[in-house]
This record gives sequence, C-alpha cells and structure tokens, in this order.
Amino acid sequence: MSKLFPKSANGLPLQIVIYLVVLAGIATAGVTYYMTPKYTRVGYAPVQPVPFSHAKHVQEVGLDCRYCHSNVDKSGHSNVPTAQTCMNCHSVVKSTSPLLAPIRESYEKGTPVPWVWIHTTPDYAYFNHSIHVNRGVSCVECHGKVNEMDTVAHMQPLSMAFCIDCHRNPEARLREPKDVFNLDSKTLADQGRQKDAIDLVHNWKVKPPQSCSGCHR
Amino acid sequence: MKRKFEHPAPSAGELTGPKYWRSLDDLAGTPGFKAQLGREFPEGAAELDGVDRRHFMKIMAASFAFGAAGLAGCRRPERNILPFGKSVEGVIPGLPQYYATAMPVRKWAIPLLAETHQGRPTKLEGNPTYTPHGGAASMLAQASVLDLYDPDRSTAHTKGGAVLKADAVNALLASIGGNHAATQGAGLAFLADESSSPTRARLVAGLKTKFPRATWAEFEPVADEPPASAAQASFGVNVKPVYHFAKAKRIVSLDCDFLHSEAGSLYYARGFAQGRRVAKKGDPMNRLYVAESGLTLTGSMADHRLRIASSHMLALASKLAAVLVPATRDMLAPYASGLDVNQKWVDECAADLLAHRGESLIVAGAHLPAEVHAIAYGLNEILGGVGKTVDFVRVPASGASSISDLAAAIKAGSVKTLVILGGNPAYNAPADLDWPSLQKSVGEVIRLGYYADETSAVSPNVTHLAAAHYLESWGDARTADGTIVPVQPMIMPLFGGLTQNEVIARIAGETNADPYALVYAGISGRAGADAEKTMRRFLHDGLLAGSAYEKVAVKFSREGVEKLFRDPVKSPAFSKDNLEVRFVKDYKMDDGRCANNGWLQECPDPITKLSWDNVIQVSPKLGKELGIDPKGSLLQVARKEENEFIAGKENSHVFELTVGGRKIRGPVHIQPGLSNYTVIVALGYGRTVTGHVGKDAGFSAYPLRTSSAMHIATGAKLTDTGARMLLANTQEHWSMEGRDIVREANFEGANSYQENPAYVKTIGMEAHSPSIVGEAGEKMTPQQRATLIPRGNSLYVTPQFDGHHQWGMSIDLNTCIGCNACVVACQAENNIPIVGKEQVMRGREMHWIRLDRYYSSGTADGAAFGGEGNRELPEDPQISLQPMTCVHCELAPCETVCPVNATVHDDEGLNVMAYNRCIGTRYCANNCPYKVRRFNFFDWNQRSLDQLYMSQLAPFGTPELVKMVKNPEVTVRMRGVMEKCTYCVQRIQNGKIQHKVKMAQAGRPGDVMVPDGSIKPACAQTCPVDAIAFGNILDPNSAVSKAKAREQDYAVLGYLNTRPRTTYSGKLRNPNPKMPDYGTLPLSRVEYNRKNVPTGHGAGHEHTSEAPVAGGKKGGHE
Repeated sequence: MSKLFPKSANGLPLQIVIYLVVLAGIATAGVTYYMTPKYTRVGYAPVQPVPFSHAKHVQEVGLDCRYCHSNVDKSGHSNVPTAQTCMNCHSVVKSTSPLLAPIRESYEKGTPVPWVWIHTTPDYAYFNHSIHVNRGVSCVECHGKVNEMDTVAHMQPLSMAFCIDCHRNPEARLREPKDVFNLDSKTLADQGRQKDAIDLVHNWKVKPPQSCSGCHR
Repeated sequence: MKRKFEHPAPSAGELTGPKYWRSLDDLAGTPGFKAQLGREFPEGAAELDGVDRRHFMKIMAASFAFGAAGLAGCRRPERNILPFGKSVEGVIPGLPQYYATAMPVRKWAIPLLAETHQGRPTKLEGNPTYTPHGGAASMLAQASVLDLYDPDRSTAHTKGGAVLKADAVNALLASIGGNHAATQGAGLAFLADESSSPTRARLVAGLKTKFPRATWAEFEPVADEPPASAAQASFGVNVKPVYHFAKAKRIVSLDCDFLHSEAGSLYYARGFAQGRRVAKKGDPMNRLYVAESGLTLTGSMADHRLRIASSHMLALASKLAAVLVPATRDMLAPYASGLDVNQKWVDECAADLLAHRGESLIVAGAHLPAEVHAIAYGLNEILGGVGKTVDFVRVPASGASSISDLAAAIKAGSVKTLVILGGNPAYNAPADLDWPSLQKSVGEVIRLGYYADETSAVSPNVTHLAAAHYLESWGDARTADGTIVPVQPMIMPLFGGLTQNEVIARIAGETNADPYALVYAGISGRAGADAEKTMRRFLHDGLLAGSAYEKVAVKFSREGVEKLFRDPVKSPAFSKDNLEVRFVKDYKMDDGRCANNGWLQECPDPITKLSWDNVIQVSPKLGKELGIDPKGSLLQVARKEENEFIAGKENSHVFELTVGGRKIRGPVHIQPGLSNYTVIVALGYGRTVTGHVGKDAGFSAYPLRTSSAMHIATGAKLTDTGARMLLANTQEHWSMEGRDIVREANFEGANSYQENPAYVKTIGMEAHSPSIVGEAGEKMTPQQRATLIPRGNSLYVTPQFDGHHQWGMSIDLNTCIGCNACVVACQAENNIPIVGKEQVMRGREMHWIRLDRYYSSGTADGAAFGGEGNRELPEDPQISLQPMTCVHCELAPCETVCPVNATVHDDEGLNVMAYNRCIGTRYCANNCPYKVRRFNFFDWNQRSLDQLYMSQLAPFGTPELVKMVKNPEVTVRMRGVMEKCTYCVQRIQNGKIQHKVKMAQAGRPGDVMVPDGSIKPACAQTCPVDAIAFGNILDPNSAVSKAKAREQDYAVLGYLNTRPRTTYSGKLRNPNPKMPDYGTLPLSRVEYNRKNVPTGHGAGHEHTSEAPVAGGKKGGHE
C-alpha cells in the first residue's frame, strides 16, 4: 500500500487546531472591538446642523436641562427643542448669526432641523425618561457631563449590561430629587450617604425591573 | 379641538437607504437570478434540479459580497431627530393623545376615543363618556382604523381615468347646482346611504328647498332598525323603540340578533349582560327565549331556543299573542295556522312573561315584516314593558325616496344627473332593478366613494370622487338613542377626500362648504349665544348632553294595527325542494363595506369559525338530504365532524342556490342549530372590484335578492355542482368531548348554582384528586397563594413573584357573547398581522385571542371512552363560548422547555416573551396545553400576502401607509419568533410609569400602587359586556380579586398544575322547568357525566351521576 500522506502530515492536525484557535481568537477580538456597544457607540460625536454648545448654554447662560428638553419629566421620549424654543432667545440674541440660519429657517418654514440622533436604544427596548428623572436618576448617569460638552458625544455604551448594572443596584446611582438635573452633583453614595440611599430605595419603593417585560414589549 | 399640523417630510438620507442592497442587485441583477432567490421554499422538489453548480457558486459569491458589505453596516446608520419648527400646543412627543370622535353606522353611531401618536390615529376605543356603551366598541369599530391606511382606498378624484384636481371638483359640483337651478332640480337625483347626521339632514332639507323637483333617495341593503311602518301603524306617530335589556328579566327574541346585528346592539348587549351577571348567590338572572332560523350570537346565549323558519315568525308571534291576549285569538288565528311548534313551548313562555309583568320584553328582528313588530309592540304594552323595558322615542321622519322609486325615474328617462353618495348600489342593489345598466343609462353620474368600487367602475363616464374616512372628516352623527356625537378628524385627509356634507353643500351652493363650519352651524343653531363654548364641550366630551331623541308616551292603537292584518298568509311548508333563504348581514363584512379590511376578513366568524369566506349554511338534516353528510375524519376521537376536513382545511361541496330563476354558486357548510329547511347566506362577500384583501373572498349573494324579498326568500333550491372548495375553518372540532373546559350549571333546580354555587369545583379532574396546592396551599389566602406558589418537590426553580403588583384576569363565561370585539381590539393594539386564507388553512393565524365555540347535544357518547361514538350531528345543540388566550400560568410549561430563556416570568407574574432572544424552536408552543402561542412563520409585517414565500434576499418592505397603523409602543415582530398575549404589557408598564411620575411630582413617591381599573388590556377595555376583569390580585378589593373570589371561578386545565393567572367564571343557564325542552343539567354536563361516570350511561342517570362526582370532590380535599 502506497503512502498516501508524507511524514510531514503528521503535524497537520495540531497545526489545524492551532490555526483554528488563532482564527477564532482574531474573530472574537474583532467582533468585540468592532461590534460591541462599548466601541461602536462611546465617543460618537457627529457634526450637528447647528454647532450648539451645551457647555455655553448651561454654564454661561445658566439654562436648566428642562428649558429645552421640556417634556423629559413627562414623557418617555425626551424631546429635542423646537426651533421656536431656540428663537425665544435667538430672535434677540445673535439674531443674524449665519450659524443659526437653519434654526431661523425652520422657525419660518416649519421644516424640522435635522439634528443627528446620538443616544438611542434598539427598537425593541423601550426606555422611558420620565420615570428615571422623577425617581432620582440624573441625566448624567447615561448622558455624561453634557453641561461641559461643546459637542455632544456618546459617553456610555447604553447596552443592556449597562442598564442592568444599575437596575440591580439602584442604591449606588440615586440622587436626591433636587440634584437630578444638576449634572455636577454627586450620587448619595458618592457623598458617603449610603444609608440615605438605602432609605430612599426603601421609602420610594424603588424596584427597577430586572425582568424582560421592564423594557421589552 | 383637533389641531392641524403638517408632517415633516423625510430627509434625503432617509429616502436613499443603505447602499449594500444596491451593490448586491448590481451583482445579481438578472430577473432569473432574482426569481431563484425569491423562492425560498421550493413548491416542488424538482426545482432543486434547476440550481447547477455554476449557479450555486454565483449565489455564494453574492452572499459573500453581501457579507462583506454587511461589515460596513455594523457602524450605526445616521438617523435624525426632527422636531417641529413651531411648538404645537398639547403635543408631547412620546405620549399619545386621545380625541373624541364617532363611527357612523347607518342610522346610528358608535362614540369613540381615538388614540393618536404624533397626529396618527392607531387605536380606537369606545368613548366612556357615553355611558350606555360604557367605553365599549364593536368589532367593526375596532377594525375601522385599518381602513384609513388601506393602500387600496381611492386616492384621487377621477373622471374617465384622468385625475381631477380639487378646484376642478369644486367647479364641477358648483356647476351641477348651477345647471339645475333653472329647472328647480328636475333631472337631478341623489342616491345616498342612510345617515343619522343632523348636519346632513339640514343640508338635504336645504337642497330640497333649492331643488324641489330633485329626487333624494336613500338605500341600505341591510336593515338594522325595525320598519318605521310598524310603529306608525301601532302608535300613529313616527317613533322607534329603544330597549332597556338591563331591566328585563324575561326576554323573547323573535329572530332578533340584538346582541350584534341591530342598531344600538352595544347598548343592548351591555344591558343584557347586566341582567345576566351573577356575582353571588341571590343575584337575579334574566331568561332568554329565542326563536330563530339561523344560529346567531343571540341564539347562542338562549336559555330556550326554538328553530323555526324566519317566514314562520309571524305565525309564532300570532300564537304568542293569542295566548297572552285571548281577545286577539280570532283575528290572529289565520296567521298562526300551519305552524309546527309545540303549543306547550308557546304557552309556558307566555306564562313566564305574564309572571314578570313590567320586567319582560319581546323584540323582533329588523328584517321581519311590520306585522311581527306591531304584535311585539302591542305585547310589550300589555306586559307593562312600555316605559320600563322599552321606550319609544320620536325620530325625524325620513322624506327620502326608495331606490325602487329612483330606478323607476331613471327608467322613465327623467334623471339627467345622478349623484351617488357612499353606498355601493352596483354591488348591492336589489337584483331585479339591474342597477348597473340603469346607472349606465344616466347621462352624468357623480359618485362619492371611499373605494373606486363596483359602482364607480360601472362605466367610464362615472366621475369618481374620493371620500374621506371618518377619522379625517368633520361631521356629526347620532347614537341609537339619538345623542348627537361629533365626528372629529384625527388627521388631515391623506388623499384630499371629501365628506358627503361638503359635496351636498357645494351642490346646493351653500356659502360656506367647509365641513367644520357646517357642523359648527348646526351646534350654534342649537346652542345660540354659547356656541363656541358648547362646541368645545361637544368635542371634548364627544357628545352633546341632553340631545337624545325625545321619549314619547305612546298609545297602542288596535285599529291602526288591524289595517296591517288584512290578508292572512298561511305559513309555507318548507322542504328540500322549497327552501327558505335568509340573507343576513355578515358579522364581519357588514353589507360588504368592510370587504377590504384584512383584520375583519381574517377574524373567524363567531358561529361558523370560517375566515376569508362566506358559505351557504345548511342544517345537518338538509345536509343529509343533499347527500353531503360528512363521513368524519381520521382526526376525530369520539365524534362525527360537522364538515369534512382534509388536513385541517374544510373541504366543502359547491352548490348552486336558485331562487326564482336567479342563481349563485357557493360552498355549503353544515351548521347545527339551523331551522331544518332554512339556508343562511351572509351578504358582503364576492366583491368584484375591490382591493387586494377583499379580492376573491367568498361569493356575492346579492344577485339573488329582489326588492320584494330583501331579507327572506322562499322557494329556493340547492343543486350540487360536483365541485369542491377548500375553506379556512379555524375550529375543526366542535365538541368538548365530555371534558370540563367550559363548566356550566343551571341557575335553579337540581344540581344548580343555587344548590351549590361552587359547582365548578365538582367538575373536572381536580374534583377527584387532592388539591393541587396541597394542604398548606388550601389554608392560604389567594394573595399568598399567588406569590408563594405552594407546591411539592420539583427540580424546577419557581420564579420569584415579588413585584408590587401581581396581575391576573378573570373572564366571565356567563356574560361573554362571543362577539369577537376583543380579538380585533387585541390585533389593533398589539400590531398583530394577518396571514391570508392560504396560511389560515395551514393553521398559522396569529390572533392572540381565539374564541372557542363548542356544541353540546347531550347524546354524544365517545367511542374512545367506551361508548359507541355518535353517528348523528346535533341538530339543536347548546352553544358554549370561551375566549382563550395566554393564561399566564404561574408554573408555565412553555418556560421550562425554552432552550434560550426567551420566555420567562417577570416579578409581577407575567409570562413574558423576549422576541429578540427567541430563536424559533417552537418547543414552547408544543408544550403549551392551551395552544395559545403563535409563531411568525413568515415576515408577515414585511411582505404582502402573495410574497410570503420569498427568501430573505428578496426585497422587503411594506408601504409607508400600512406602517402608519402600527402601535409604536409594541415591537413589530419579525419572522421566526414566537408571540402571544402579554396582558398588554405596554399598557401595564406605561400605566405604572405614569402613576409613579404623577405621585413623585405630587410629593408622594412612595405610592407606587396603581389604582384599580386604571390599567386595562385592550380586550377588557373594549368588551361590550364587561366580561373581562383585569388587575392586581394582591389587592383583595380589586375588581379582578372580587371576580376571582366568586365561587364559580375555575382554572381551565387546572389539574395540570399550571396555576393560570387567567381564570374563568362558570357559565350559567336559566331554563324554565315548565318548558318542554327543559333539561335538569346543561347538555355539556350531561356529556361530562356520560363520559366520566361509568354507570351513568343512558337517559335519566344524569341526576344521580352527579352525586358520586360531588362525593369524589369531598374525598379529594380531605
């Protein structure tokens, strides 16, 4: 019987296994890097039609989040302001700035300003702003320090793991209600008031859903 | 008041879409390749041969390119947030808004609340401000929102194929008025559908003043109100009856399907349920006697049901009158002759009515002749019902001509211009008029229609005007009791449709033809100085308080009625060669207006359980005589099936039905409960010019109808064509097989509810076994039992039920009338797709709720259980209805078999489905004992019904218009995932959130318990009879806890230890012991006893066999 395989083929199975392991490793690393929310989302800071600076409006002008995002404590969806809201001030301030031309146009014609969507959850996940901000979860938890941003960037992965971390352990993330819209405030836990945080959870009967039905419908 | 705002146009980025689709098309753009890809499941195995190696490589290359392009798709697509330019008052993005409106139906209307999302109506609910309906809406009202987004609706005004602009239409309408002004309207004729709109009535009056010689005719193919002539003859005034079923303890229905088919049926059903509901021992219960030819929903609720032909109703009414009022015996004797009915039935029924003077009610079907109604009115007065169980209200006299008058005028050549407003006469006018050729003979025809249908397609010279949907119109209407309700637009007309009021106003040359102004003028005419305020209140409340028709104290005039009884007709004798045909309004299609509504087409008929088709219903006896007695199928366990089935598809015989030389062909369906020689044919199908959905659905029965026999025809004959036809029947098996699925008892008598209110506990497996919750569980309160789940040893870890609320439901089988409103409400709320006839025949329908309909005859004796197996179909069965949906088992069998934990419990006791986890193994559906899980075999939401079999590579997508009806709060499911009832989890979560937000803002953040009644699933919300209670079972005072505390509350298949959160309240029947057809037990119980008590075989043992069962229960529990 003639030799079907040369002697060098003896090492082939091992080589195949090694190649497969390496290949699988590369694939895993690639998927982890390129496809998980931590990498695909965090840092996303698209160019907006109007170079709106949150830092200027919050820190210099002193606007509250709810001046523009006026329905965040009423609706599941936190609204982006209408051009009319901008024009409340900008009909007087910088009323001829070329940078604000899209706003003026929108106000006059009714056509929307195409703001680029940054923070989002998948269509099958139903996040609700009002319940979070009304019950001690600050904007900063998910959006980062928007008050210091000139260009809004995605700061947290907003993945299911990110949500569940907090839902499993709300004590660590709650603020006093007065601090919710103060993005420079600290959580009760960070202020060293763990007991107050636990009391808050108890008295407010805070029980963030950890079941599918909490977010998926 | 509704605001008008423009929808933002999509940006350029939205319109172009992802690029990689295009490169794939470039690579494999040949039509042949596309066709190859397009068919994923080859219809024949031979098709595999068509794929050679080269082709295979090409496909692989395409897939590879697709994959490579796909990597780029991992980056997020850029999407935009598009806020309004100017803020819109009251609009909060993300929160729905509710506006009051109403759905006009012939001469009545259903007041509604429309839920809109960013100006887009998605769901309709009854307006709770209108208390007679209590927030309920009918199946048709629930489905009507789909019509708004029907891609087949007419989208333009056309003339001879050319599109007419709005200006041209206005000029045309003005010119009609102008041209006929000189002749005072001679040569001008109108044909409209019936309407209750006060504004239309005012405009028509104006029209008649301006054009006194014009003809105004109205036509409706079906009747849902008693003939005006009956009231005129009886009382001498123009009144109509409004029945108060809630006050009636004894009800006799003469062929009257008051629970569904009559005007005001929502109020009637609600009242009937009020008198029917038994919450505790000592509560009264009404008794319903029904005489009918077909089997209707009302008949299915009857305590005593008499099958007689509709033509014999006058004889029966005369017999009843002769017993109740002996003085009329001589006058009515000729009418009562020839009726083959047990006299004892009539005598005892009459005695029962007399024993309940002032609390009894006799109603007659709208299709019956005036004589029957006159008798019913007279008997109601004699029984003291007038003013108590029935009121007579003054209705505006209709000055309209009939369609026959109009036809005569057209034939005489005196009509030059014909304006057809709504309706569809070319399809549904009486056949003897030959409407299409009449219409052709008129010089100018203008047609306002929602669809470019048969009437618009009669000849090319018809000017078709697109009508607006009621959800895009300003208008008004009156409910059955006369309360004026607004028809308020939710959205600007999508295709520039017109309303009837506008068209009439323009022809009449009114100065302001704006539809809103027309309504406002009517309100200001009533309100006077306060018009603006009254109008706002009118729109806010959705009704004008105190505007109901005036009640009239009537006096029955015997002389007037005697005029009706001049020439006695003997009741005809029917046989196989002389059949009676009863044309009925279809439960779903109505008169044909709903033919292109997919939700309604697919919803199974409540009685026949057929979807997508109508049938010629025949009685089992007639079926046998016609030689189509079904042989039974291999699937049957113990029974003969009522029809033949091939692999789940009803294989019907196609027959030809002949009446007076006119013929139609249709499939025959054997329907128990019919009068022996009456065939029932539902109208509304067989549309020839309609949209994609209604095309090829059923056959039209209109060609059989003539002006003289609109509702009942005699002398019909059925002949076999030899052809067969497959039908989509969703319930093949009609028997409970002597099981305890629906548990029933008599209200009074031996073994009755009065003797043992907890009768449900004596039936079923649980009655014989130790308690499934064990001794410990028996001692617990219901609240403890729900959260702690007492149970024995098991490897399976019980879910933790530690949520603030624990949701549960209780369905009262005693009041459920099987109307299917819940099925369609659920479909609208939860984005449930339709699947088409072909897929329904494969058992792939997606309804989350199904209404099971069972027949019991008491004689059934299963072969599998030692009996002989019954050889006859029940001719006169008792009907048991049961809505069945996911019962949210606390120990759910579906959860233990899911390999990916896609179906699990949440902490509030919901059995939830995570669609994005589901991989579609369907193990859960297999393991579900209630068979309530539904699988997405195809991309129902992405493909039209004729493209389902295309592969993932074929183009996807539905028209934007169709997407607009979707509820944004519910995920639209994709192919390959399982779905089922969620208890409307979106409503639960939003309800909880809204309550918590409200409380937090009110400074009471610790108050997280949602008040009872604020969260209602779509089914419970719309249920006309309030049969469904839903809420928190941890709260012992909640409606659902109280419902579950009723002694007749039981779990279906409870012995499986599934611990369902949805339980059912047993059904009660209230037969009269003196009646000849009295049974001491409901027939389903008789069957149960025959099967389960070995000694109980044979007649007369039913009573005694009950004792061992009760004894078994005792033994089990102690």
